[in-house]
Amino acid sequence: MTAAKMTWDFDSLVREHQAMVFSVALHFLRDRAVAEEVAQEVFLSLHRNLGSIESDSHARYWLRKVTVQRSIDEGRRRKRQSNVSLEDVAEPISGARPGDPMLQEMLRRLVATLPEAPRMVMILRYQEDLDPGDIAELMNMPVATVKSHLQRSLALLREKLARRGLGEI
Amino acid sequence: MDWLEQELKEALRKQEPSPDFMKRPRRAPVAPVRNWLAAAAAVVLAVGAGGAYREYEGQVAKQKVMLAMRIAGSNMNHIQRHILEAQQ
Repeated sequence: MTAAKMTWDFDSLVREHQAMVFSVALHFLRDRAVAEEVAQEVFLSLHRNLGSIESDSHARYWLRKVTVQRSIDEGRRRKRQSNVSLEDVAEPISGARPGDPMLQEMLRRLVATLPEAPRMVMILRYQEDLDPGDIAELMNMPVATVKSHLQRSLALLREKLARRGLGEI
Repeated sequence: MDWLEQELKEALRKQEPSPDFMKRPRRAPVAPVRNWLAAAAAVVLAVGAGGAYREYEGQVAKQKVMLAMRIAGSNMNHIQRHILEAQQ
């Protein structure tokens, strides 16, 4: 593979995967500027490792794995992120309807209050539509742990929504 | 997939970053331990270099004093010789 071909491939890889990389970091960190920095670092790391990428699916897997790790690292560095508790989340609108932007913003904020592992599991499940087996492989954890995180997080979100009068909509 | 999961899929849908996000200046890489080691090494070097420079300055000053004393001694000898010649 020539240098020119690799450069072209890199540009198209950025275009194809930038929304995925940025959004994983954004939903995990809840800060656009920081998420863009993380995405930039992930792609620069990809550029350095371009020679080891074998296919587009390999690139997608590599980018997801590196983004997950970089986002978690950045979250740990920014401890204030974890200082937000569920009780700090603004009271939602009563009578929210499916697709309500305010309900979705509240869900994003509730997800952001989860501890790092279940938070990332939820993002990979609902943003990336990955099944528990794929999530377990990406996060180096047993499938049973992934399923447990999903069940507990959903139960917690339902409880918080019900407490605010937003049960079954 | 129930209503909550559907809402989560919508809430956590992908978003595009700013068009220029790859062109922005990168922040300085954070490596606390390595930075600390580099800073410590720089201090050691600075202190070492400072000490060596002060020693060099001391040597130069000492040489200047010795030269000045030799010149002064030579002048004194010259003057003393003239005085002795005048007395004779």
